Amino acid sequence: MTHVSLQKLTKVYPGATEPSLDRLSLEIPTGELTALLGPSGCGKTTTMKMIAGLLAPTSGDVTFDGRSVLKDKPEHRGVVMVFQNYLLFPYMSVADNIGFGLKMRKVDKPQIEKRVAEMLELVKLPDLGKRKPAELSGGQQQRVALARALIVQPNVLLLDEPLSNLDAHLRFEMRDLIRSLQQEMGITTIFVTHDQEEAVVLADRVALILDGCMKQYDRADVFYKRPVDEATARFFGGQNFIQGVAGNGVFEAAFGHLELPAEAASGVGKLTFRPENIRLGSADRNTLEATIAEKIYLGTQTRLKLQLGEETIDLIANPNDAEHLQPGNALTINLPPEALWVLQS
Amino acid sequence: MSDRLKVFLLLLPALSVIVVLFFGGLLIGLMRSFNYMPVIGLTEPDFSAYVSVFTDREFYLSFMLTFYIAFVSTVISSILAIGAALLLRRQFVGRAIVNFLFQLNLTVPHLVGAIGILYLFSQSGSFARLAAEWGMIARPAEFPALVFDPYAIGIILQYVWKEVPFIGVIVLANMQSIGEDYESVARSLGANRWQSFRHVLLPLVFPGVLSASVMVFAFTFGAYEIPAILGANYPAALPVLAYRKYTDVDLAARPEAMAMAIIIALLSAVMIYFYVRYSRRRIRG
Repeated sequence: MTHVSLQKLTKVYPGATEPSLDRLSLEIPTGELTALLGPSGCGKTTTMKMIAGLLAPTSGDVTFDGRSVLKDKPEHRGVVMVFQNYLLFPYMSVADNIGFGLKMRKVDKPQIEKRVAEMLELVKLPDLGKRKPAELSGGQQQRVALARALIVQPNVLLLDEPLSNLDAHLRFEMRDLIRSLQQEMGITTIFVTHDQEEAVVLADRVALILDGCMKQYDRADVFYKRPVDEATARFFGGQNFIQGVAGNGVFEAAFGHLELPAEAASGVGKLTFRPENIRLGSADRNTLEATIAEKIYLGTQTRLKLQLGEETIDLIANPNDAEHLQPGNALTINLPPEALWVLQS
Repeated sequence: MSDRLKVFLLLLPALSVIVVLFFGGLLIGLMRSFNYMPVIGLTEPDFSAYVSVFTDREFYLSFMLTFYIAFVSTVISSILAIGAALLLRRQFVGRAIVNFLFQLNLTVPHLVGAIGILYLFSQSGSFARLAAEWGMIARPAEFPALVFDPYAIGIILQYVWKEVPFIGVIVLANMQSIGEDYESVARSLGANRWQSFRHVLLPLVFPGVLSASVMVFAFTFGAYEIPAILGANYPAALPVLAYRKYTDVDLAARPEAMAMAIIIALLSAVMIYFYVRYSRRRIRG
């Protein structure tokens, strides 16, 4: 049960001119599951290694429950890191891998065996203790790595891209396993990923890191509805950005006026809305006439490019609704005010 | 042309060298050790050469000495090489220079090294003279016998000097390809520095250490020139003894020399087998 706090954490690698991580501050409440999300090379793994004590920060602080842990050796921090490629010790059996942390703590053998058996049961691999890691599938190796981390009952669990090496069907299984174990044991858990979908399905809260700086730290759904800026919106698949001026609850664009939600900002800026939140047909408010420029069928959805005056916008529709639509056709759409958001320039 | 045939033809030059020079030589040696030399009319093979080798006390003394030299040189070289690799894989200022110096003596022939040891460590060598000059000993001859000595210290020194960089380079490459993440995992699971070395890095680099040190063991067990230059006269290392028999004025000693050569080859093979088995168990256990 540990509240993790990162305070202006900065890392400049020797010989580098730009910091890999620039003054990252983050409060991770006890028992929460937080995602550090960002593209490759944005400093996520660096952050994890600094929390684990495997790397010293250039400046800033890491505190657990208010106490700085920078001087603590990695083996004394109560933090376990599970690496992306699992890194099971190849020459040890599965059982020895899982029992490793207890063996290092000089726990006696029968006790280790008992705990290892419990952990194997917990990650649903009860019969594989005698195997070597090379004889396991990727998903099984992942479970062993997780069991090896959880057996030492860490205060903080760090996961590096926990789902990215797994097949689609295994991802959901693993996600459920991680979530249920994490909640059962109440371990403060931080994982890093470059995949926004992975962050959204797994995390209570997401911290988006771009170019070594934290952009936004919020519940996952907020990133879709209320992004802080265009880069954030784009990272989450946002496509539609329209230049204009907001004021008095109305956005004025070249093609007309749109009614905004009450909490929207005012001033010069960009209007953004998700392609999946555009509705077909007319409504009481924000109804627009567009022309279909392009139609792309994607199986479970159909993507339309619409011409709206000078602007091009993306729309995602149900394939059945879009079946009769053809490029060149006129199309009536409406943008519900609560689906709109203004990004100030 | 089938692929197999192509591979075979490509390997042929190398294979013929190995087969003709190595196995051919071994076969002729084997025949002669059994007193079988049809060219000079010996067509009845027997075991007399082996009998006289095995009943000779000097042979056992030589064998013990040779085993001791090979074993001690290999173990000391391996330990120092692992230590050196641990230092050299770190980032520090001047690492490239240190690395270069470390590998420099790989290019120096064994013989040159042996003569260097002779000049430096013998009782008339530089260190002895310096020690006498500085008053640490009264005369250079009082310098401890490190060359031609019963403990073969000079020989072991030479082998260690030459083989540490050899094993070290292999182990260093091995460590660099393994990276530091396994140790990071171990540390975060609660292992201290020593434990993560002992239980994680060492078993991971061990196959590399093992193959390098087996080569060193086989080489030091069968090498002639270093014990010939730096070794005591009696007992002599096995290869030296075999060569003496071979060049004996009494031609009848030749089959004995061949028998010894065959025994050296066999013993090396057997010892390497046990060395590999035993040390693998020790490290993995």
